Amino acid sequence: MKMSVKKLATAVGASVALMAAGQAAAEIRIGIAGPMTGPVAQYGDMQFSGARMAIERINAAGGVMGEQLVGVEVDDVCDPKQAVTVANRLVNQGVQYVVGHLCSSSTQPASDIYEDEGILMITPASTSPEITQRGYELVFRTIGLDSMQGPVAGEYIVSQNPNKVAVIHDKQQYGEGIATAVRDTLRNAGVEVAMFEGITAGDKDFSSLVTKIKQANVDFVYYGGYHPELGLILRQARQADVNAKFMGPEGVGNKDINTIAGEAAEGLLVTLPPSFDEKEENQDLVAAFADKGEDPSGPFVLTSYTAVQLVADGIEQAGTKDPFEVAKALRSGTFETPIGTVQYNQAGDMESFEFVVYEWHSDGSKTPVN
Amino acid sequence: MQDLLYFSQQLINGLTIGSTYALIAIGYTMVYGIIGMINFAHGEIYMIGAYTALIAITGLATLGIAWLPLVLIVALICAMIVSSSMGWAVERVAYRPVRGRHRLIPLISAIGMSIFLQNYVHLAQGSRNVGFPALIDGSFRFGTGEGFQLSISYMQITIFITTLVCMTILSLFISRSRIGRACRAVSQDLGMANLLGIDTNRIISATFVIGAALAAVAGLLLGMYYGSVDPLFGFIAGLKAFTAAVLGGIGSIPGAMLGGLILGVAESMTSGYLSGEYKDVVSFSLLILILLFKPTGLLGKPEVEKI
Repeated sequence: MKMSVKKLATAVGASVALMAAGQAAAEIRIGIAGPMTGPVAQYGDMQFSGARMAIERINAAGGVMGEQLVGVEVDDVCDPKQAVTVANRLVNQGVQYVVGHLCSSSTQPASDIYEDEGILMITPASTSPEITQRGYELVFRTIGLDSMQGPVAGEYIVSQNPNKVAVIHDKQQYGEGIATAVRDTLRNAGVEVAMFEGITAGDKDFSSLVTKIKQANVDFVYYGGYHPELGLILRQARQADVNAKFMGPEGVGNKDINTIAGEAAEGLLVTLPPSFDEKEENQDLVAAFADKGEDPSGPFVLTSYTAVQLVADGIEQAGTKDPFEVAKALRSGTFETPIGTVQYNQAGDMESFEFVVYEWHSDGSKTPVN
Repeated sequence: MQDLLYFSQQLINGLTIGSTYALIAIGYTMVYGIIGMINFAHGEIYMIGAYTALIAITGLATLGIAWLPLVLIVALICAMIVSSSMGWAVERVAYRPVRGRHRLIPLISAIGMSIFLQNYVHLAQGSRNVGFPALIDGSFRFGTGEGFQLSISYMQITIFITTLVCMTILSLFISRSRIGRACRAVSQDLGMANLLGIDTNRIISATFVIGAALAAVAGLLLGMYYGSVDPLFGFIAGLKAFTAAVLGGIGSIPGAMLGGLILGVAESMTSGYLSGEYKDVVSFSLLILILLFKPTGLLGKPEVEKI
């Protein structure tokens, strides 16, 4: 009895797969996986809004190789267990391409399934470096890595011709990773790194560190980590008359740093992803979002748009719908997208994802630095 | 000359942070000296003191009162009252019912209280940093020209002097006053003190209240010094103060002062001359070394076997 139920299930599954394959002949199905509910649903809204817009516009322009794109939306609640369930559902529906997932913790287990089942996945939001470090053939992203900001910051510091630089970090994966990248960029450019030192996250008193910075007579300080520690360092440095310029990554760029550092936050430099919706070449697209009453300024709207567009462009370039061929086309081609020119390396990361240097002000506002 | 200025600056940094460790360490050492338990919620009492002082300062500012001495005194009194009542309540609720049981039980109760207070403040005040106004601003500067300048902020001086004054008052209180004498009696032999007519419950409560009041002083001072507070404000500070208390000899009040200063200077010298990464390694190695050669800490009295 048990056996026959299993057989029946297999038969039903197979016929569903066949039906799905039959449909796919007339249309290209793209799975869109992200949180529709749960604590980070507002980020999911951005993702779905961008992907839907891309599908509409590509279809209106005649589709891909004469076929229409169809979005298959699923909700993973940003929960790794749920992500596996919806990934399997997409597999059963005969989807060959997925735009998603949003949270790195969901993307990671789901991508195992897609890679095994021969489905191409592009995540528009997951920044954990690990996702693309497993040698997978079908995993891509349209967003930067946590580790990409370091070189950007390093090159900016080099361009300022400092005499000596101090690089400080909080000994955690994110902060130390970025700080190491900054230090290496500086050393390769021949800039003297006078200090490279870790602090303890959660500490309050940095007077010894600040004294050391003052003694080393550096004119630039880079800090890899988050705002609570940098805020205190800035404040204590100001009290001790340290005149060096300070710089930090995305993790320090929020208004809480003003609460902690007060006036001392004025002039802090921060690397952040650019506002893609403010680019001139995207104004047509921004107007299209406005017509629908949607807001394209969220960080993941245009990256999701780009992910769908890359699937379409990849199929066109490969001349076939086979995901492996499309992946090869993505790795070899260069694509013009709303988030800029996209080129992939072997891992599936973009060769460059733009980060922009902003100057932070003591009222919590920021202005781009040229 | 340059090196000397640098050394003095690191020494001052160390003494400042060391005196704050000492102020918090008093709470640990007094409670241990009397009932032989470690009050892990003490770091949280200190954090609550800082929050209360901030609320008082903000309240006075909305009333338009800005005269500095008045603001400081009102904030200090508010913080001391709230922290002391909190210290008293914690003892009544979490420690008195389990006193005299197996040693582990009050310890777990204390850890639970610490987690409870931390999360309570998370809920009541939010988990983000709250800005603390810098009421005492400015600094003395030594050394001129291009070279390294030694700077001592008024706040550092205030912290150091306040700690010394508090310690002196406390030592006098313990050695001269009636309650102080009772405290010493209770710490020597709780059962015997009880038989001789000392209300030991009251004395134990008084110990918690005094420790909490000093923690409130530290909360106000350090809130102003660091410029912001958050619900995790007391966690690391409490841990370090506890270390200072053990280093100096837990149960001994001058020991807490000495332990705090040694720990603070060791930390600042390590990060000044070696690297900030080794700060905790060096201070805890120091702790282990001292305990190896003097198991009761620097000024701790060896435990006498009671027969």
